[in-house]
Amino acid sequence: MAAPMELSCWGGDWGLPSLHPESLTVMAYAKFSGAPLTVNTINNTWRAPKGDVPALISQDIVISQPAKILNFLRKQKYNADYELSAKQGADTLAYIALLEEKLLPALLHTFWVEAENYCSVTKPWFASRIAFPLSLYLPGKMSREALNRILLTRGRPPLYSLTEVEAQIYRDAKECLNLLSKRLGTSQFFFGDTPTTLDAFVFGFLAPIYKVCFPRVQLQEHLKQLPNLCRFCDDILTCYFRLTVSGHSPAGQDTADANLQKLTQLVNKESNLIEKMDDNLRKSPQHPPRKLTTLKLATGGEESSPISRLSP
Amino acid sequence: TAAEPWPENAALYQQLKEEQILLSDNASSLAVQAFLQMCNLPIRVVCRANAEYMSPSGKLPFIHVGNQVVSELGPIVQFVKAKGHSLSDGLDEVQKAEMKAYMELVNNMLLTAELYLQWCDDVTVEEITHPRYGSPYPWPLNRILSYQKQWEVRRKMKAIGWAGKTLEQVLEDVDQCCQALSQRLGTQPYFFNKQPTELDALVFGHLFTILTTQLTTDELSEKVKNYSNLTAFCRRIEQQYFEGHDKDSSTTVAARSAKRSLLR
Repeated sequence: MAAPMELSCWGGDWGLPSLHPESLTVMAYAKFSGAPLTVNTINNTWRAPKGDVPALISQDIVISQPAKILNFLRKQKYNADYELSAKQGADTLAYIALLEEKLLPALLHTFWVEAENYCSVTKPWFASRIAFPLSLYLPGKMSREALNRILLTRGRPPLYSLTEVEAQIYRDAKECLNLLSKRLGTSQFFFGDTPTTLDAFVFGFLAPIYKVCFPRVQLQEHLKQLPNLCRFCDDILTCYFRLTVSGHSPAGQDTADANLQKLTQLVNKESNLIEKMDDNLRKSPQHPPRKLTTLKLATGGEESSPISRLSP
Repeated sequence: TAAEPWPENAALYQQLKEEQILLSDNASSLAVQAFLQMCNLPIRVVCRANAEYMSPSGKLPFIHVGNQVVSELGPIVQFVKAKGHSLSDGLDEVQKAEMKAYMELVNNMLLTAELYLQWCDDVTVEEITHPRYGSPYPWPLNRILSYQKQWEVRRKMKAIGWAGKTLEQVLEDVDQCCQALSQRLGTQPYFFNKQPTELDALVFGHLFTILTTQLTTDELSEKVKNYSNLTAFCRRIEQQYFEGHDKDSSTTVAARSAKRSLLR
């Protein structure tokens, strides 16, 4: 029996279990391989661990970085790649490299560097989940690190200007999405019918782009033009994370039902009131027979006549 | 300008071969040379001490064709394609995706490992990199340029999370990458069976350079030698595309290096 394992990572929103690509990758892999993980999302208590996120804690060992965490899980016999051939394993490495080199810069840019997105969505979301006063500092630091990474890997020395690089990284990201779509084709997962490490990584990178609502969404718009990738994300969310496509968890669905019930009750009350008024009117002194007859003939029924007289 | 045919005097610029060029730049340069040879496009190699500064993107190598200057393998492949030469036209969409993914694997793991070794491993930095990198320049300029470049590379390593790696971990990554390449290649002559593509050129550039460059230790080349189909692959490309050209200075690279381990 394996020791209990805890995963500390960023939480989710917009129908995702986590907003953070690396956290999402690890969570997806754990679901695919059946690893029992207790997930602790970081909230603004001081008990949140410092250092790299996501982090796997098992019997006082702390492992960070998705690749190392996945390795650890495999050693504990939670292996989602059991049925892959050697060549498929090699393909996995290659496609993960493609994601990191071509898609990640644009993903980082959309979340952390694009000013409108960062100020209106990313910063408030992360700041609300970090304890004060770290919440004043940490989002800014993450943003600077993201910008740094983009400029150092794609920028040109010695000045490293962002504007030159921006257009190129989005072009590369869109090309990467096209390549992934072509590779996936009509299969359910990248290597047949069971999800593997590669599916976890692709899901981790794609789902945040797909679901999070930003003001500047050029990457999301491009992704929505690739229906097989969208279906891929939705399938994993519904099958492995039990979230409906609209993003409501079953609990959310109940609230919607409760609202619907209340509304129905109100409508019933209204119609009861109207029926009472109808009775009162019939008992009241009769109007000149001509009008009543005309009304009766026109509407063809007793109930509708008082309503048509009463309505404005 | 894209419609102009390939001129006779096209030139590829790199640093000085004997004294200055480093492992990673040599690998990149050899990859471009192999690619152009595979496309049957003549190119002569010109060595300049300040090649890095002449390059439009700061990265090497770059080619000077007609009145255009293009640097790095990716853009060069696209440039050559615009002129009507391509090695990957026969691939279907899924194969093209695979080819691009494997090229990123080489950039992501092999090239980064080479950069790590030559700029972040103290022994290598002291004994090989610093003396070579600034060698065309007088003191103190040679030291200043060296330290500046080292600082730049170390910043990049830190940003992508490689700064915390030990040499053993980096060599592990190289092994993993070579294993993936070896498994993908299998028993085929080239990665996409009968015809070489830009992926073959890139892999050849890096693996051949690793196999034939003398460093402070043999650990890096040993990792590649573990996979016999990869060494056979390098020998095959060398024999087919680099031997038997008299005046091409690209043979000097292969011939000089051939004196070393490859044929042992």
